[in-house]
Amino acid sequence: MNFLHALVPEVALVMAACVLFLLGATRSLLARRASPWIAMAALAFVGGRMMAPSGDDLPSSIAATLMSPAFTVFIKTLTVLVAMLLTLLHWPTDGSGSRTSSLELGQESPEYFGLMLLSVAGVLLVAGANDLILLFLGIELASLPTYVMVSISRPIAVAQEAAVKYFFLGAFSAALTLLGLTFIFGATGATNLTGISNAVASAELHAVFSGWLLIGGVLVILGLAFKLAAFPLHFYALDVYTGAATPMTAFLSFIPKITGFTALIRVLNALGAPVAHEIPQVYVSLLWVMAVATMTIGNTLGLMQHNIKRMMACSSIAHSGYMLVGVTAAFTLTDGMYSENGISGVLFYLVAYGVMNVGVFAVLMMLPARPDPFTNDGKIAPATSAETLADIAGAGRRDPGLGMIMAICCLSLIGIPLTVGFMGKVLLARPALEVSYIGLVIIMVLNAAVSAGYYLRIISAMFLKEPPPDTGLEASSETHAVAVGTVCAPSHMRTAPLMFAGVLSAGACICLGSLVPAMTAVRSAARESFYIQPSTPGIVKPMPPQRSAPSAIPRR
Amino acid sequence: MRAMLICLLLVPLLGAMIGTSMPSAKASRRWALGVSLLTAALAGALVALFDFGHAQRFQFDCEPEMFMIDEIGFSVHLAIDSISLWLIVLTAFLTPLAIAASWESIAKRQTEYYVWMLVLLFAMLGVFAARDLLLFYVFFELTLIPMFFIIGIWGGAQRQYAALKFFLFTFSASVLTFAGILYVGMYAAPGSQPSMDLDTVIQHAQYGLTPHQQLWVLLAMLAGFAVKIPLFPVHTWLPLAHTEAPTAGSVILAGVLLKLGTYGMLRIALPIGMPNAIVYLAPALGVLCLVGIIYGALVAWVQKDIKKLVAYSSVSHLGFCVLGLVAMNVVGVQGSVLYMINHGLSTGALFLVVGMIYDRYHTRDIDQLSGLARRMPILAFFLVLFTLSSIGLPGLNGFVSEFLTILGAFTSTNLGIGFGAVAALGIILGAVYMLHMVACVLFGPLKTPMDDGASGHGHAEHAGDGRPGDLGGREIAILVPLAVAVVLLGVMPNIILRTIEAPVSRLLRPSGADDAIIRPVSGHAAGVERETEFVVRGREE
Repeated sequence: MNFLHALVPEVALVMAACVLFLLGATRSLLARRASPWIAMAALAFVGGRMMAPSGDDLPSSIAATLMSPAFTVFIKTLTVLVAMLLTLLHWPTDGSGSRTSSLELGQESPEYFGLMLLSVAGVLLVAGANDLILLFLGIELASLPTYVMVSISRPIAVAQEAAVKYFFLGAFSAALTLLGLTFIFGATGATNLTGISNAVASAELHAVFSGWLLIGGVLVILGLAFKLAAFPLHFYALDVYTGAATPMTAFLSFIPKITGFTALIRVLNALGAPVAHEIPQVYVSLLWVMAVATMTIGNTLGLMQHNIKRMMACSSIAHSGYMLVGVTAAFTLTDGMYSENGISGVLFYLVAYGVMNVGVFAVLMMLPARPDPFTNDGKIAPATSAETLADIAGAGRRDPGLGMIMAICCLSLIGIPLTVGFMGKVLLARPALEVSYIGLVIIMVLNAAVSAGYYLRIISAMFLKEPPPDTGLEASSETHAVAVGTVCAPSHMRTAPLMFAGVLSAGACICLGSLVPAMTAVRSAARESFYIQPSTPGIVKPMPPQRSAPSAIPRR
Repeated sequence: MRAMLICLLLVPLLGAMIGTSMPSAKASRRWALGVSLLTAALAGALVALFDFGHAQRFQFDCEPEMFMIDEIGFSVHLAIDSISLWLIVLTAFLTPLAIAASWESIAKRQTEYYVWMLVLLFAMLGVFAARDLLLFYVFFELTLIPMFFIIGIWGGAQRQYAALKFFLFTFSASVLTFAGILYVGMYAAPGSQPSMDLDTVIQHAQYGLTPHQQLWVLLAMLAGFAVKIPLFPVHTWLPLAHTEAPTAGSVILAGVLLKLGTYGMLRIALPIGMPNAIVYLAPALGVLCLVGIIYGALVAWVQKDIKKLVAYSSVSHLGFCVLGLVAMNVVGVQGSVLYMINHGLSTGALFLVVGMIYDRYHTRDIDQLSGLARRMPILAFFLVLFTLSSIGLPGLNGFVSEFLTILGAFTSTNLGIGFGAVAALGIILGAVYMLHMVACVLFGPLKTPMDDGASGHGHAEHAGDGRPGDLGGREIAILVPLAVAVVLLGVMPNIILRTIEAPVSRLLRPSGADDAIIRPVSGHAAGVERETEFVVRGREE
């Protein structure tokens, strides 16, 4: 078993991406049509590999850089499964193989799917990284393709604006993260996460470098807040989510988030070696404040929106806040122990958020936009499906199936019992209560109540409002009708991949609510995420801090 | 036997699922009625099979292992004692009537409507059968969704606003209950697995929490229940929801959904706060009840809309119900449980009659209606009967429970004579506003929106000339069972009172007291029971 062998999933995805880029150069119709299939096949291959038990452990030389405990496998599997759902959302539905109701890729369809695979490969790298450099590379590999994807997802100005905004702020946050990582390296002399935690655990370091370490940790947390769409770097989300094409918005609200949380858990884990020290109170306090601010700001902003994509951006912010509750609780020391319940809560919530979020966007893509007389000269912008509350008014009456999917997903996002969202909130509240963050739990449940305010507006728009008189497309110009008519006619929009994704996620929203296996997986994953086991403090021997640069770079 | 409760829950649930694919509106309403009647029959079977000799014991116990989630101590644990039994019977009794009442008044999207009714039935039955704290909460919240749609789609002019207000109000408050539930559940067994089992949680809350913690947990629980009941300062969603809901929605809302709050208080809040916290809070709660009783009655008095009047009367009546609960003695709590059932019957019936008036005249304005007795003697008979039952006329059901709750308040160590006296004043006000409404609507010169008040008499016999006539066969068939129940429980309240004695006194004892004490009745408890029996018998004579 060699190093490459351990990287098979990532390598497979990157290779598939390269194939797609080459195909893109041919500019042929066949290439465009084949690209979603290739992407799906690559993801399915990786997913199958993840599901199959590998059995043998990595040799220690590789384990220094790459890890494969249950935590990693869990994150990778989840990412790949949700990525498959997201691919379904992107599935081109017209003859040219580059367009869906709300996506218009033009000639770039193969490249788009290639970038998507690269981004997923980045998340897999982050999940396995046991080294700061690899971790950062993974984060960037996951992020950089998304900037391009936002821009080419649809040919209108708002998408370009969103891409530019996203890129600059993303670059800023990456710089912040990198600066933080540098401080950590400077303080501990190691880029290897195990080495860092050993260095943190040794007493002599603590006296001299703790200040640097503190700054480093805070900078990393703040930089990652961008990926999570968490306070204080949450504000880009509204514009970017609205500008991107709807399936891309679904992508944006999950892939960066799981990257961010994985990296956050990894780094905090290394900084808080529970053997000798607890995590500096600063980190925990910072996370506490971020959790409260993120969910409160997200939900309050959500109440003010009329555009559902903006609402979902707010919802994305708010859900990051909920998950930060779990992270905060996970890294609060009680009785000299970390509880794995915090991590398992976050992991379960990631699963939950993944499925319920995809469902909402799938429904949005299956509903047509209505021309709005006040914007865009009363025409529908190209590659635009339903986006505002007015667009979906009465849709649940016309199409009860779509209505049900939307209602289930929204109720799950609120956290109504019998849905996966409810179970997720229970599992996040539990660790917080264990470490006596009662205030945090109360703020969280009150936020769930606030969030009901805007999710219910979506449900009531679909079911309680009368559909407006059918204006149709006859008012708009002939060319416009040609451009849009084929895309926006409901019969063409309700395509099999979208419907499949929607039904799948709505079904998962209900079933997972009582699904024990998911929780068992989450639990074992969480237990192994602490690679310094809190219950066996004697095992880890503090290594002498490695200051000299050459020895700090792990064997590769 | 063991599977009885599962069957009871599965019948409406499966019925709802199958109901979604009914071919026509007619078929769907017949199907819904059939399913709800089957549920009622099952509830009847529960009564027949229930061992009343050990009414305090939780029977039909069932806890399928496949649904257990050890992570959070959750399990689908169903079991009922006689208190739950009677509330289940009430639910199963009212729902077919409500469905039958929607027969013609619901004209649009009928399939959906009847599916939501069955889902609602499922959720309500679940609340009363749950023996797991989290499961209780699951069902408690689940009732919101069907009700949200029933109000929001089939309600009156302001239905969307009313539905949102209903959902957000109750949900916002019950998330605090949720936090409280998690708190006691997670701490229920310190050092070991968390447990949501109701008995474990209560025992722990009584012995394991400091008084301070207990008080906060109790407050969290009360937050959700008080809004659902609704107690005085948080009742504002109720009149709007009632007025906007379709008739059947109001019937279920008043008849059963409000009882979820009082039931939760009885089953969860009282035992959790038992030795200290509840005694500490009881006077405050009692004052809120009294304010609710008086305020609700006064506001009801000035209403022009009959439905709103009945809605405010619910605020007033539920004040009595909670007053009996916080009295914390056997008489009071027993009266309170009986009150839940009686209020469900008579207020549900009142809403039905009001709905029937509205179906005919499309108005509920007291100023526009007058002298209806002349045209509709049968309707007038039922309206007067249910009004009297609601006022608490001796011989009808309302009297017994009102009497017992007030007696409970008088003799309670938590409350006292002052509370009883003010509550008794509420009864007088109750008679005032209800009789005022009846006098205006039923008697006096005949006036309806169609007659314009021009002709005072002589039209009653021309029921066929396009003017709405008296109650039809279907409507009478809906009201007769309610009338029978109202009279029956007025004459023989012991059917219920005697069977709930044992579970009530079990509730009022600190838990963890040996089960041995509970089964063969100890000297003290026997004394209490004899006392109650005396009281009840004394009043009947």
